Amino acid sequence: MHLKLFVLSASSLMLWLAPLTALDKTLDIHKALQGASLTAAIACAVTAGNIARLQAEQNEIEEIKTRAITADVVDEIATSAYISQQQRQQEAEQILNPREHLERSLALTYDEDERSELSVQNQLAEPEQNGSENGESERTERIHQLQAKGWGKAKIILEIWGVTKGGSPKYKAAEAEYKRLIEGEERERER
Amino acid sequence: MRAVYLANYFVAGCIAFSLLGWIASLHPITFRAVLCLIAATAIIWCLSWLLDFSLSSALKISVRDLQAYLIAAGAMFLVGLGVYLCT
Repeated sequence: MHLKLFVLSASSLMLWLAPLTALDKTLDIHKALQGASLTAAIACAVTAGNIARLQAEQNEIEEIKTRAITADVVDEIATSAYISQQQRQQEAEQILNPREHLERSLALTYDEDERSELSVQNQLAEPEQNGSENGESERTERIHQLQAKGWGKAKIILEIWGVTKGGSPKYKAAEAEYKRLIEGEERERER
Repeated sequence: MRAVYLANYFVAGCIAFSLLGWIASLHPITFRAVLCLIAATAIIWCLSWLLDFSLSSALKISVRDLQAYLIAAGAMFLVGLGVYLCT
């Protein structure tokens, strides 16, 4: 295709310039030859131009395809890098602080359960007094410490009273005491 | 490749003006006809320069492209007739 283009371009130039310079304009036969060669030169130049235009359009399409492929590859690499960075960050968080993560998730689980049973527990709970004020203050302080850590009620009761969550009377008693201690603390603060 | 096809079309235009000169040299009547054609073309060319903005919007091309075509047409005329008259 390139050879054809080159030959047509060169022949158009030759057919244009050679007869005009070499032939005599006064002779009729030369003049006729000049006219024919000029017409042929126009045909050659237009044909060469059309071929070159088609080639240029194909080249543009190829360039667009190449750009699109490059953009796709870059986008894919960027996406995979972003995902792998997120994965690494999550893994690092899990490795660095597994205990805190576990405690938070446990506290969240207990809190959700507590909200649903809160109304029932309020009705069933009965106040129970502890004889020892020192013990109460220690427990209250311990409760605040555990609350500050983000622990839930059931977990605090398990930690301080050693009673697992459920409908047992021991748990209800422990829960009632827990509420009493917290409410007492709040009343003291209000005063 | 874009330059190659533009160059080929430019050469074709130049040869066309040379052919016009050759036609004008055949007979006094053809000479007058070609002269009239060139005069009309020159008037259109000048008007196109004056009305380039409205023409570009009518032809749906940019003003810069229209001016490039007009300059190329002028250059084709000068080169084509120049080559024919100087040889």
